[in-house]
Amino acid sequence: MVRWGMVIDLKRCISCHSCTVACKAEHHTPPGVFWAKVVRVESGKYPTVIRQAIPLLCMNCKEPECEKVCPTGATKKRPDGIVTVDPKQCVGCRYCAVACPYGARSFTKEWRDYFTGEKKPSSAYAERARKKWLEESDKGVVSKCTFCVERIEKGRQPACVEACPCEARTFGDLDDPESEVSQLIKKRRGMQLHPEYGTDASVYYLPAR
Amino acid sequence: MVRTSCGMCYGTCTVDVQVEDGIVVGIEGVPDSPQGYGNICAKGLSAPMMLYDPNRLNYPIVRTNPEKGIGVDPGWKRISWTEAMDLLASRLKECMDRDPRGLYTVGSPTFPAERAFNILCFRKAFGTPNYYTGGGGLHCGNGAHMIGGIYHASWSIIPDFKYTNLAVYWGCSKGHGAGHAANVAAKQAADAKARGMRLIVFDPFLSTQASTAEEWVPIKAGTDAAAALAMVNLLVNEYGLYDDQYLKWKTNGPYLVGPDGLYIRERKTGLPLVWNTATDKQEVFSSKALKDCALTGEFKVDGVKCSPSFQMLKEHLQKYSPEYASEICGVSASTLRRVAKDFGEEARIGSTITIDGKTLPYRPVASIYFRGSQGHYNQAWDCMSLVLLNHIVGSADVPGGALAFGPPVHLGYPGTGRLKYSVEPDKDGLLVARNWPYSHLPYPPPEPKDPPERLDLQDMFYIPTYTTIMAWDNNEELWQKFKIPYRPDVMISFATNQIMSVGNPKTLFNNFLKKFRFIASFNIYSTEFEEAVADLVLPDASFLERYSSATTFPTVGVSCHATGLGEWIWAIRQPVVKPMAERRAMIDVILELAERLGLRDRYLEAAREWVNRAYGGDLDFKKALDPKQKLNFETMLDVIMKDRFGPDKGLDWFKENGYLKWPKRVEEVYWRAFNDVRVPVYLEWIIRAGRKSRAVAEKYGVPDLVDWSAHNALPEWRPCPTHSEKNPEYDLEAFYWRSALHTYSMTMQNPWLNEVSQNDPYTYTIQLNAETAAKKDVKEGDYVWLENPKGSKARGRVHVTGGIRPDHVAIAANAGHWGKGLPIAKGKGVFFNELIEIDKEHTCPVSLGQDICVKVKLYKDGGARGG
Repeated sequence: MVRWGMVIDLKRCISCHSCTVACKAEHHTPPGVFWAKVVRVESGKYPTVIRQAIPLLCMNCKEPECEKVCPTGATKKRPDGIVTVDPKQCVGCRYCAVACPYGARSFTKEWRDYFTGEKKPSSAYAERARKKWLEESDKGVVSKCTFCVERIEKGRQPACVEACPCEARTFGDLDDPESEVSQLIKKRRGMQLHPEYGTDASVYYLPAR
Repeated sequence: MVRTSCGMCYGTCTVDVQVEDGIVVGIEGVPDSPQGYGNICAKGLSAPMMLYDPNRLNYPIVRTNPEKGIGVDPGWKRISWTEAMDLLASRLKECMDRDPRGLYTVGSPTFPAERAFNILCFRKAFGTPNYYTGGGGLHCGNGAHMIGGIYHASWSIIPDFKYTNLAVYWGCSKGHGAGHAANVAAKQAADAKARGMRLIVFDPFLSTQASTAEEWVPIKAGTDAAAALAMVNLLVNEYGLYDDQYLKWKTNGPYLVGPDGLYIRERKTGLPLVWNTATDKQEVFSSKALKDCALTGEFKVDGVKCSPSFQMLKEHLQKYSPEYASEICGVSASTLRRVAKDFGEEARIGSTITIDGKTLPYRPVASIYFRGSQGHYNQAWDCMSLVLLNHIVGSADVPGGALAFGPPVHLGYPGTGRLKYSVEPDKDGLLVARNWPYSHLPYPPPEPKDPPERLDLQDMFYIPTYTTIMAWDNNEELWQKFKIPYRPDVMISFATNQIMSVGNPKTLFNNFLKKFRFIASFNIYSTEFEEAVADLVLPDASFLERYSSATTFPTVGVSCHATGLGEWIWAIRQPVVKPMAERRAMIDVILELAERLGLRDRYLEAAREWVNRAYGGDLDFKKALDPKQKLNFETMLDVIMKDRFGPDKGLDWFKENGYLKWPKRVEEVYWRAFNDVRVPVYLEWIIRAGRKSRAVAEKYGVPDLVDWSAHNALPEWRPCPTHSEKNPEYDLEAFYWRSALHTYSMTMQNPWLNEVSQNDPYTYTIQLNAETAAKKDVKEGDYVWLENPKGSKARGRVHVTGGIRPDHVAIAANAGHWGKGLPIAKGKGVFFNELIEIDKEHTCPVSLGQDICVKVKLYKDGGARGG
């Protein structure tokens, strides 16, 4: 069985936020909601200081904490490893958002227009964005990255993987030892974020140095 | 789906835009296109938010408040296009009758292809020499581009990412998401790092490139020349790591120089002489009999003592010991030694590589500079010193070295042999660029105009593309002395925000913009510029609503191809949706104006000249177009493309396919080895050109227009005004950098990019060293003022970091909007340009480029504490 996963090469990443915006353009997440983001971490003191960018998204864990705490069964792990939220079942309790050790989940009370901050869309484009958002996620519920499950089902790559100017992201089957992602993890010593939580994240990072 | 070229920066990546029911629904890259490789950045992805911004201008507006000024409400009133065209045509007609030179034309550098037809061709047709570039134009340009032109026949240089093993960056970000060829270079640089290319970054700030480099060397701003000259000194005088074959045959290093600093020339031909070591006699540099020549030593020609220019350089460099440079630049002498040695050894002087059956020098090192190094008083010599590192070890336009953007040689599109251009030597054997985005070539120097005709006096100098003299405090006095008979009259601006992008806005307004009788601006928003000074604002079509000619040519221009071997691409920009509301593409308005003002033939002549210089060829629009038909941009594009690519590849073909590509040849990419051209290690001609400009200045009673002593042949470090600031209160050196999230100020109104910038710790903040912050009792998130010695100040929120020198503060450029027409951008980030003075003291005496670093004092704002 396939287990979808992603490898992010920190050596290639230039923290340009293309992933952040590719996700926004694909899913029309409203203001304040970021399924993909890049955080910056600084360590050391001048002049021996290291500044590292870490792109984040839902880790689509093999052992998802969010699924365990979901009281309605809205959050489910699919057989291919992707963790989804069914907006029809979600009651907006946000237990999952608290349980997720990666801060990957967002709660959206209302859809808002990016230009006006209002509930009324400011253009035909915004109206389309609003509709798409309500269809996929809805208001009063929790949402998150699903590796662009709708694209994967059409045989495409997640939007952030296709956009990345540095081609820092590779997407594929973690269960196939011959896949590019498995090979990269093996050869470049890929790391999961916080392996100590036992989540067995499906996103791996290749070291910058 | 419509295939076009992105216009969110000048990278012009090929994109597919999905349109459903007349609405743009998505933008993605085109994997097969060498302009983007299918990847797309945050700016490109945000394009729909610019297209559908409800704050866009949708119809012409005029000012009803006769008062102009920063912060003054213009009292916009909507008018019809008919009224707008009548108004603009009548104002232009009046200007033409008074003196056409009173028309000032200004265009954005972000759209070079559009700017050429909108601004450059129109100004020529109209008969005015006056223009400048908004956006970053006055900050970049002069030093970096002209040195790029003199040494590489190109706008700029970039590592040969496929082969470079060691790249040294000086205040530039190439391959890190901003600037030239942003997206393609990002992939190329990532591939290079994955391959093992090492990057050493000299920068006061731990920028993205520095943070991903092997080594960050925190250097003081404006001191690059001192560090680089110390490194050249070490290579030449201590380590003996220089490429003598390159210096002998590809530079003017062997040219003999007499006591007056000028070449010793053969009497009969006037050609420069070198010393033939086989015959022990002088010989013309281009003589076929010459088998070897001297780079060092002292000789006598007709009784006159002389030395090869390389000898002059060698002696001159001795002043730049690493210890001396260290005092200036704040980098230890041992670091300078280590990096110089590394660079010299990694250059593998003497080695070769065979590519496609051609054996070429292999020099896998590159010293790369751009905006950071050039934003200083000494910018011409800063850039020359940095480029010299490559030319000392022979790593210029050879595999692994510093490559010209472009490249500047194209042997022709294989299908037709057209679109052909190359470089050539002048009579002194030095490199002349033939594909250049401006009529003003970097070399040879033009004769100075006597008296100068332009209001910025650019035409009495030889390096600058433009100057800021038209906005100096003493501009009126200068115009009188130089007997310039006209004054600023009408301005046409294309997509610029000069109030925010040139320097201190009050100075620009009071000294310059206020003097215009009428300013018409074509823009997509009403920015601070329109609000302060525009009389008429015309709603331009954005890049998704208009046509443009080749977005990837001229190749040496800002819309650059990917570096190194790969593919050439000719791509167009086309509307993916019809211009919304009453928006009109500026070019359509300009062509209509040209005909209305009786300038049709003159416009076509200007377009002919530009197209043939930029795209190579001999197209004549007057012959190709039906004189009975009204000018139409689409027809002009069709004519250009059929002329270049054959009758089956007109505009219709490009509308369908978006772009045409074909392979680059080794002879094009590594053109230097295949062309008998030299570059100067000794800029002898600057002495001559400088004397001529000085003579004009003296003739009109302005002997001290600039410091003429800088018009010399050998590179040197000269301090910026910040380096000699005596008042200890002004203890921080402020400078700006370019964020990968933004293209100048245009993108700050984009709500996606704005939101990401707000979440990012750097884009909208003042970066202050942690130790310095502690000393000043400033904490993360505090609001502070930065104030320069003249009392100009900028306010911003502090980000405390270890990633900056303790004596510097860094700010991302072009934020801090206040205009009512930009509600998203308003109040975000720091308006650095307020601190930039526009005067002689902050102007490079050779290139006339602006010094944009500034000494400031930092103090806490009494007001709110922000997060």
